[in-house]
Amino acid sequence: MRLRVLPKGQVPDLVRALMADYRVWGPKAKGPQFAFEPLYDPAEMRLDYNISILSPKVALQPPQERVAVFRMDGGFTVEPVVEAEPTVIFGMHTCDLHALALLDRAFSADFPDAHYTERRQQALIVSIECLQPCDEHSFCKSMGTWTADSGYDLHLIDLGDAYAVYVGTEAGEALLAKYAPQARPAADAEVRRLNEVMSAKWPRFPHRLNFDAAELPALLATAYDHPIWTELGDRCLSCGSCTNVCPTCYCFNVIDSPELSLKEAVRLRRWDSCQLDEFARVASGENFREARAARQRHRMFRKGKWLYERFGELGCVGCGRCIRACLTHINIVDTFNAIHASQHRR
Amino acid sequence: MSKSSVAKPKVAFFDFASCEGCQLTVVDSLQTHLDLLDAVEIVNFREAATLNGWDFDIAFVEGSITRPHDEERLKRIREQAKILVALGACADTACVNALKNLQPPDEVRRYVYGEHADWYETYAARPLSAVVKVDAVIPGCPIDQEEFVEVVKALLVGKKPPIPDYPVCVECKLKGNVCMFHIGKVCLGPVTRAGCGAICPTYGDGCEGCRGIIPHPNENAMEEVLDEAGLTLDDIMHRFTMFNAYREVETGKW
Amino acid sequence: MTDSLYAPRVARLADIRPMTELEKLFVVEFPDGSSLGHQPGQFVMLSIPGVGEAPISISSSPSRSNGHFELCVRRMGDVTGVLHRMKPGDFVGIRGPFGHGFPIEQMRGRDILFAPGGLGLAPLRSLINQVMDERGSFGRVIILYGAKRPAELLFRDELEQWAARDDVEFHVTVDRGDETWTGNVGVITTLFPKITVDPRNTVAVTCGPPIMYRFVLMEMLGKGIPETQIYLSLERRMKCGVSKCGHCQINHLYACKEGPVFTYAQIKNVPEAL
Repeated sequence: MRLRVLPKGQVPDLVRALMADYRVWGPKAKGPQFAFEPLYDPAEMRLDYNISILSPKVALQPPQERVAVFRMDGGFTVEPVVEAEPTVIFGMHTCDLHALALLDRAFSADFPDAHYTERRQQALIVSIECLQPCDEHSFCKSMGTWTADSGYDLHLIDLGDAYAVYVGTEAGEALLAKYAPQARPAADAEVRRLNEVMSAKWPRFPHRLNFDAAELPALLATAYDHPIWTELGDRCLSCGSCTNVCPTCYCFNVIDSPELSLKEAVRLRRWDSCQLDEFARVASGENFREARAARQRHRMFRKGKWLYERFGELGCVGCGRCIRACLTHINIVDTFNAIHASQHRR
Repeated sequence: MSKSSVAKPKVAFFDFASCEGCQLTVVDSLQTHLDLLDAVEIVNFREAATLNGWDFDIAFVEGSITRPHDEERLKRIREQAKILVALGACADTACVNALKNLQPPDEVRRYVYGEHADWYETYAARPLSAVVKVDAVIPGCPIDQEEFVEVVKALLVGKKPPIPDYPVCVECKLKGNVCMFHIGKVCLGPVTRAGCGAICPTYGDGCEGCRGIIPHPNENAMEEVLDEAGLTLDDIMHRFTMFNAYREVETGKW
Repeated sequence: MTDSLYAPRVARLADIRPMTELEKLFVVEFPDGSSLGHQPGQFVMLSIPGVGEAPISISSSPSRSNGHFELCVRRMGDVTGVLHRMKPGDFVGIRGPFGHGFPIEQMRGRDILFAPGGLGLAPLRSLINQVMDERGSFGRVIILYGAKRPAELLFRDELEQWAARDDVEFHVTVDRGDETWTGNVGVITTLFPKITVDPRNTVAVTCGPPIMYRFVLMEMLGKGIPETQIYLSLERRMKCGVSKCGHCQINHLYACKEGPVFTYAQIKNVPEAL
């Protein structure tokens, strides 16, 4: 893997240069927290952010998007709307990078979804290594997502006054050559510094899962009727915040809305949540997942088992967003640990 | 589109006990959505025009029912309307009008009308649905302009207006907002019906519940959230009372 | 222009036939005369512009396509409500066909027991008519049909044809009769004692309201029909039809992809399925 070094002072120039040709998304301050948004000024970007409120998936699967337009005139015609533009997602953490791998599979499997895949094809990913855990809720080390050796075009590691830049793809190489020609091969001292930085990182990150994440699918296979789901159901507000902030959740609703003239209508898709009352309800009124407990179980099984069985990637990357977002302290790590403890108690 | 649905529906606006702010929002939306006047024919709208027609298909009714003889007029509207829509929180949940329901009715009357209290026959405020069948509601104090327009569109194509059953948190998250509880504010968004685009949290204020409570709130869980935010049980009741007093009196819960 | 999974093809309502108070049969065709190319048991997503989209099972058999297909639709929600007010010549959007249908090749040479309940006849009729059209390549054909009331019986003319055939064993029942009804009264399970089957050589197919499955399955299993030879078609909320949106998920299975047709063996240990 090719390694370059980019002085920190040149990052704003890089971002400014990219902004001329790409929509550049990056982490920006939002009150006391951070959000991934399009950048309009390189100075807005906060690569020192801890974690973004929503994951950077917002750049690839927006909360709401148009997918088709109907034009009515006696009969009607349908025009697909696939909105994609050259994009750089700058400053993605590695947990979210791993989540992207799952989204890539989910949207390209069976029936490729052009709305996602077109955006994805036009997106370059510049990720950044976390050298500190973002807070007490993240458990990326347990999920093996606290670092990454692929999935990015460029990957930055903070060396103090410069970034080490791993080049992951040809597109990343070309991007660097065109927009940051100042980036140079790493000198021996910089490679040594990089090794020190990475060695110092490991002990800072705690394991929060009390077992190997690879055991999760097998563990959950024994836990369908575990009493913990009732406990979670009793606490759950069914507000959908856990899934809306999740970097691997991609369920959506499809909504049709006419213009007042009734000459045109738009088909939208909007994030949806398996935690909401209506999610599994059919027109006759039958609700196939009515109990909150069943809905929380559904979420945790998707994260820990079903997505893995379908796509070969766990649906949880340990970012901890769902834990932060939950006002009633439903905690996926505690839940998995509790199940593990009860199944191994003898 | 079905060719049979081209006739312009005739629309009327009526009001009972209310501030008429929701009708004012309708007037605003007529200015921001000029197509509205092409899509419907307004035949009765006291607040905005000198029209008083009684030949209408859709009635938008603002306000709570607070007097026995209000009922008679509402029933006449109901008889005429193919579709009756409760316009705004007063009509939908009785909103702030129901605050008086928490006090003895005679005391309320004396307090408001003093020595002329006997001249006025008023009773506990109630939503339209306590008196007649309501086909659709547009929640909120006041209503949301865009939601009003969406409801009109839905009625034009013959579908149920898309009023969410889920809470404000959903829209707040989709906007990427900082959670009010994370900055030490109290918010009723987790149990309040969405559809407003989480406007209050978006501008930094906690939700006050003006759109009414979602159909299946987890009351215990919400109380724990508010308790953790430092509210006593009394505080919690007060917080909900502002916009949801009718529910409070009817169900004994906030 | 990049195509979208969610943009339907425009189709025309060639004919609309009233069936019951709540159901109508919609005959649908593509203006270019192309066929839907479906398998019995599959479904389409039907759109009405500005109103919405709903999953609808296909009621006609591929063997009778003639450039059109049929949807038996109950007036129930927004889309079906507006659809019921439409006229022949009006246009709708169609996506699909989607899903995993009945494996008809594996049914050839076998006896087939159909047990639809109520609107469950809509998806099963596709397979029943395919079997009728290739009657020689199947063994015995048994149809047990149950509805709530006589007025709710679907496809009455075809029911009569099936009843009249020598090579079909047909039994129908209603939960509650009326003054005109002289046939069986009782739930669908009361028809099972009327038939005998050779369980090893019988394929059973059922579809109906969720409450019905448990009881019908008990009857089928009670007759010794192997779990791998019992097929069900399951209803779920669907917003995409292409295994993305998540609404139709039944534990690890997607009704729109692995289903809507499942064998009982596939779902008997899937708690959310029945």
